[in-house]
Amino acid sequence: MKIIETENLTKKYKRYKKQEGLAGSIKGLFHRKYEEKIAVDDFDIHVNEGEFVGLIGPNGAGKTTLVKMLTGIIAPTSGRIQVMGFYPNKLEKAFKQQYAVVMGQKSQLFFELTTEDTLRLFKEIYGIPEDEYKRNKDFFVDLFQVQELMNVQVRTLSLGERMKMELIVALLHNPKILFLDEPTIGLDAVAGKQIRTFLKDVNESRGTTILLTSHYMEDIKVLCKRSIVVNHGRKIYDGGTELLFENYQKSKRLTIYFEHSIEPDVPEYCRVLEKKDDKLVLEIPKQNAEKVLESFIGIIRSGILELRKKK
Amino acid sequence: MKKYLEIAKAYMKAQLIWRSDTFVDVILSVAKILFAWILWSILFEGKEQIAGLGFPAMISYYIISSYLFQLEKSAEISRQMTGMLRNGTFSKYMVIPVQTQGYFVAMEAGKIAFSAGIGFLATFLWFYLFRIPFVHTANRKLLLCGSIMVVLGLLFMALLNYFLGILTVKFEEISIFLMIKDNLSAFVTGAVIPLALLPEWMTAGMRFLPFYYVTYLPSMLFIGKCEEEAVTGLIVLGVWCMVFLVLNQVTYEHDRIKYDGAGI
Repeated sequence: MKIIETENLTKKYKRYKKQEGLAGSIKGLFHRKYEEKIAVDDFDIHVNEGEFVGLIGPNGAGKTTLVKMLTGIIAPTSGRIQVMGFYPNKLEKAFKQQYAVVMGQKSQLFFELTTEDTLRLFKEIYGIPEDEYKRNKDFFVDLFQVQELMNVQVRTLSLGERMKMELIVALLHNPKILFLDEPTIGLDAVAGKQIRTFLKDVNESRGTTILLTSHYMEDIKVLCKRSIVVNHGRKIYDGGTELLFENYQKSKRLTIYFEHSIEPDVPEYCRVLEKKDDKLVLEIPKQNAEKVLESFIGIIRSGILELRKKK
Repeated sequence: MKKYLEIAKAYMKAQLIWRSDTFVDVILSVAKILFAWILWSILFEGKEQIAGLGFPAMISYYIISSYLFQLEKSAEISRQMTGMLRNGTFSKYMVIPVQTQGYFVAMEAGKIAFSAGIGFLATFLWFYLFRIPFVHTANRKLLLCGSIMVVLGLLFMALLNYFLGILTVKFEEISIFLMIKDNLSAFVTGAVIPLALLPEWMTAGMRFLPFYYVTYLPSMLFIGKCEEEAVTGLIVLGVWCMVFLVLNQVTYEHDRIKYDGAGI
């Protein structure tokens, strides 16, 4: 069953284009020039219930605008859109009751309150019955192992801990769809992995449809069977994630952190993207990635603090 | 309704987190009483009455009105809304199943409830300790009208500031509207020019505006003055609240469609 459906969805922004300098500012008081920016262009997307879909694209590609339209925050300029049978921008209560949004860089939480108080507030906002609230809270708190964080102020949580709480708050009312915008941004490898495991579990055990936008290919690769690539507001790929990486991934990015300053030998087919005393970032042809990784682990096993592979 | 009560409770709890703010609130209430006592003692030297009020009535009026004035913190709503609408974080209120108007009013109620409680206790205690003669009416009708007027007045100010906040969607910059509101409010309450200096037709006209009923009239009612204006005041203020409840809903529904928001 299709839970998200759009056809020829388009969003155009109008923005004021100010001429340079003070004279330009004064001129702008009387005569303004506007330019039109097409953020999402004739976009068709169909998502089935229970799917875990990745939305990939460079900055400014239109991913966030698309998510904003799907959640009803902004209205489309033209085209057809339905999410769970609702027109999102009507923002009907029954619609908002059935989805949740988690934004990596913006918070839904109340920084002055404790986590427990925040959860209770969301319980009332979503009208969750007491037994269901307790059951869900215990389930997620257990899954994340965050029992000891329940009675501390949200503002004292680390970024990783806060993100876990954001996810718990978002899932407390059993949403049918979860929109995730960069949920692992800025997190360390351990917290990122915990969040990925959690999301996988939620998708599989609860059947929650998840739409994930992320710049970390690891997130997309591990979680999403299907990926949609967006660029310049248009869909340029919609299909299996494995196929996407197989066909289009030419290289991998390898980030190595050293405990001490080191002058490593870098094979000539690798491109050095960043080099510091304790950090090396390489772009390696996909077929050689494993070989390079193995050689680094073999040579400086004790010096490696963290390894991260990126597309 | 329960969700809005919980929102109010959450914001009240959030106020309690800041211990220094709590203590400063108590100290301010005390300072206010002492300051009023000293000031009016000097002004009343050799006089029985000023502007028709004796010393106890004047000091009671001053303390009640400044207590009400201190409660009214709704300007924070428009400031917060305009900031969030401009940086894109307002969307967090749009995606949860609450009416944004109700949310902000409940938030304000929670903050007020905290200040009101602390302020009332401190004021009561200091009146008692210093044996300050507190003049108040025993007329139940006036007490009831005054109390309802206080609630409606605070509600009106919250609704007005919410309305100004929504205007950000259309105008992006609302400081001019906030300035007009502040000046109009100060003018009507007599803070700029004493109302007695204005022509009668002008002061009569001001009685149709809501600001007159936010702090001035309820303070007068509590000390047993202006009885004849009590019911009219409630009607005028009630009508203003209704108008803004509807206006806010219509404006929000109409203007949010144009909201593009920055970021998400």
